[in-house]
Amino acid sequence: MAVKRPGRLVAEIVTVVIAGIVAFPLYWMLLSAVKPPGEIQSADPKPWTFRPSLDSFERVLTVSGFGRFFLNSLLVALVVVVLSLLLSFLSAVALTRFAFKGRTVLLVMTLVAQMVPVEALTIPLFFLMRQIGGVVPAFGLNELGSLVLVHLAFSLPFAIWMLRGFVAAVPVELEEAAKLDGASRMRFTWQILFPLVAPGLVAVSVLAFIHAWNDFLFAKTFIISKTENQTLPQAILVFFKPEDTDWGAVMASSTLMTIPVLVFFVLVQRRLVSGMAGAVKG
Amino acid sequence: MRLLPFVAALALLAGCAPTQSAPAGAGADDKTGTVRVWLFDEANRAPKEAAVKEAIAEFKAAHAGVEVDVQWVPVEGRADKFSGAFNDPANAPDVAEFGNTDVSGYAATGALADLTGDLASWNEGKDLIPTVLDTAKSGGKTYGLPWYTGVRALYYRTDVFTELGLKPPSTLAELTDDARKIRAAKPDLYGISVGGKYTYAMLPFLWANGGELAQQSDGKWKSAVTGEQAKAGVTQYANLLKDDICPPAQCANLTGTQSVTAFAGGKAGMTIGGDFNRKAVEQGAVKGKYAVVPLPGTTAGSVAPAFAGGNLLGVFNASKHRGLALEFIELLGGAKYQEKMYTAMGNLPTLSSVQQKLAASDPSLKPFVDTLQAGTKFVPATPAWSKIDSQNVLPTAVQQIATGGKDPSAALADAAAAMDKAFG
Amino acid sequence: MVTQVRPVPVAAKAPRRRRDGRAAALYLAPAGVLLAALLAYPIYQLVLISLYDYGQPQAAGNAPLVFLGFANYTDLLSQAQFWTVLGKTVGFAAACVVGSLIVGTGLAVLASRVRSLPRMLLFLAALGAWSTPAIAGSYVWLFLFDTDFGLVNEVLSGLGLPFEHHSWTFGTLGAFGLVAAEVIWCSFPFVLVTMYAGIKGVPDEVLEAASLDGASAWRTTWTIVLPMVRPLLMIATVQSIIWDFKVFTQIYVMTNGGGVAGRNLVLNVYAYQQAFAGQEYGLGSAIGVVMTLLLLSVTGLYVRSQRRSAAWL
Repeated sequence: MAVKRPGRLVAEIVTVVIAGIVAFPLYWMLLSAVKPPGEIQSADPKPWTFRPSLDSFERVLTVSGFGRFFLNSLLVALVVVVLSLLLSFLSAVALTRFAFKGRTVLLVMTLVAQMVPVEALTIPLFFLMRQIGGVVPAFGLNELGSLVLVHLAFSLPFAIWMLRGFVAAVPVELEEAAKLDGASRMRFTWQILFPLVAPGLVAVSVLAFIHAWNDFLFAKTFIISKTENQTLPQAILVFFKPEDTDWGAVMASSTLMTIPVLVFFVLVQRRLVSGMAGAVKG
Repeated sequence: MRLLPFVAALALLAGCAPTQSAPAGAGADDKTGTVRVWLFDEANRAPKEAAVKEAIAEFKAAHAGVEVDVQWVPVEGRADKFSGAFNDPANAPDVAEFGNTDVSGYAATGALADLTGDLASWNEGKDLIPTVLDTAKSGGKTYGLPWYTGVRALYYRTDVFTELGLKPPSTLAELTDDARKIRAAKPDLYGISVGGKYTYAMLPFLWANGGELAQQSDGKWKSAVTGEQAKAGVTQYANLLKDDICPPAQCANLTGTQSVTAFAGGKAGMTIGGDFNRKAVEQGAVKGKYAVVPLPGTTAGSVAPAFAGGNLLGVFNASKHRGLALEFIELLGGAKYQEKMYTAMGNLPTLSSVQQKLAASDPSLKPFVDTLQAGTKFVPATPAWSKIDSQNVLPTAVQQIATGGKDPSAALADAAAAMDKAFG
Repeated sequence: MVTQVRPVPVAAKAPRRRRDGRAAALYLAPAGVLLAALLAYPIYQLVLISLYDYGQPQAAGNAPLVFLGFANYTDLLSQAQFWTVLGKTVGFAAACVVGSLIVGTGLAVLASRVRSLPRMLLFLAALGAWSTPAIAGSYVWLFLFDTDFGLVNEVLSGLGLPFEHHSWTFGTLGAFGLVAAEVIWCSFPFVLVTMYAGIKGVPDEVLEAASLDGASAWRTTWTIVLPMVRPLLMIATVQSIIWDFKVFTQIYVMTNGGGVAGRNLVLNVYAYQQAFAGQEYGLGSAIGVVMTLLLLSVTGLYVRSQRRSAAWL
């Protein structure tokens, strides 16, 4: 896009300033994580500290089982991302490209599914997981499988809606041209359509990851007696003592929780760029 | 044709009922196996864990073929853990630690064992402070062994009091006056830091004035907060949330923790805090500049009845090791380990002999022990109370009065209506 | 005037004549089974529970089920507080949605104009905001805006403005404003990412044609790019409406459970306090059903009003 040089410079300065403002609370979170206890909630808050200490991080990392909880969260989040990408892409293609009865109804139902306040569903889901656990133990209560199932179920509706828009944006002529070239529908779907909706896939995967990674409600509802299967947010909970919350540790653990998501995005961001280039060329 | 889905839906709804768990089922009394124990986690768990490990070692030595498996439950997440145990007895432990405010709600699920007889025949049971033991009861039956207790007293700034020539207040009216004087002389301090949400600080005012939260007759509870004495107490507390003491703009929404934090940070001349708050205050800016006295009542020399918080050790009905579970809680809740828990965590013991012994050796405990001995009170022992608590009925009333949104009679009438609705 | 414009995505969707039922069923089966089991069935249970007196004793099997019919609903709808809270929720959610859309779209346009380094910085900051757990974000904002210990009050009063000991969470509007700011902070990234992807997806030919015709960058954005990304904007709006209507953690943490005398309650927090915290699942489920129906009507109205973009529905 041809933008005049000084105009672009101003725009860039504004962008960086805004980025700073948006990032400030994050900086404050990190800062609180390294401040000594007396300074976190003091009468004289400063946006710096002369006595940074890693004590809070130490308290967090030495919480019994922290490493295990971290891996549990990571496993659940990654599995949910992969499965939701696959399932939502297939469903989005079906709902956009194929004509069949009841299509609109299904689409609307997936939208409705997102509207139900999730807290209200914890009891029915608890009993459901108990029943599923009777049939397939790996997906029952107290197992990580139950978390995968439920996060998948709750991120699919949005993912399908999101990808719909991207799939719909790919012109029909493209598919027709591919058919003329002799490509089967399967081939077209996976080798041509899939890369073209890459930006949509990125958005879906980031959202699914964040949703599964930060989830607290289902982990605390389903994982009751097997504490080795707890996830990371539950590890933070221990620092919220009713009368004496350990803010340094809360901030340190929140910082530790934020980092993998950022890493995930950075990794996926590259795919976004190449995907976009592909989409524009097409 | 279009009605078909509707009709089908109605038919489904009419014919079915929500899922329920099967009742917990009878327990057993195996003498070997693994005893599962749920204890509350602490941010710094090591001292508590060490004391518990000692108890477990002693227990295992006395019982062959027995293992003890401890799970640490974060206090803030206990509701779901216990719900999970109630809704799926396979998840339930043999022994659990829980707060005394949760007793009635848990008892209503039928999941906890009735320990009335067992505690009566326990040789150390006679030493349990009666008012503390009462907090473990619901419907006349005892559902837990009181493990430790916590009460609140008046923290005040010795330097500010000396500077202004004040003495620790001996009545609640004097407390209000002192608070005004402090703020008048030092406008950047709160006279006393209390909050609209700090119900456990408000209750002593209500009780000291002779009021009650609710009365029980024929097994049915009815709210009593509209009584004249209750109204006087609540209003006296709400009057602390005024611009001349603790302005509503800052204080109307403060919880207990936040009130104590303000004091610890040097922002207030007084506060109402618990024995469990001492560590936080010591770490704050007011270290070395404060002292504690029991919260006074309405007449000189009296002590306002404090709310007796505390944790209990209970046994699940579905436990397969009932005898072992009982012995374990009697060991952990006995004098020896209550003393160790005090050393580890600073928790106030529930056995009066241990209390006296510790008070003698640690003077900072004295005001709290005195408060306990003067007599504590508790909230209505009914499952409806946790509903009233989570609906913020009392804080709302206090906040309405403090901000002038409603006058005391109207605010308390609303509160009484909400309470009666919850009592059923 | 732009002459040769690529077909707008909306019109690109021409329904195929062939019966695709079988292929569709195959593609939809995995997701369909999962959603039927894990969403449809629990929602059905939810409606069922709302018709009963269902608390912890009933769930644990220690008390019998009492069929109440619509008693939970009449109970709920007859409480004046419910309607007050509902009104406030709608207002609060609207403010959050509009705020996130404006900030997200504006920054997406900005990001499309700058080089990769400033853009990466912006995206990283935005993603940091997005990935912060709601609890952590709420507490950080709360600390920053704390009455006595907050940095914001200190800076503002240092500049001479009368913000010494100003309580941001006391006044009803002030508290809602603060929470809305936090919610916008952590939800605009989603709009940013979505709209940026859409803006970037506009083919170069269209933009070149526009600039050849003499349109300024600003005019191109406003009259050509934004209309082309309308379907995405609609997705972002609908999602934002759904999420912001259901906000819980931020309000609960930052207003200490609903503000002074409950004047900052939103529906989800209200449902928690009135029902779930006391394990009254029957009433809670009724509130859940009412919330879902409300959201359905609100989104339905919105989608209807966007009939042109909704053609793809």
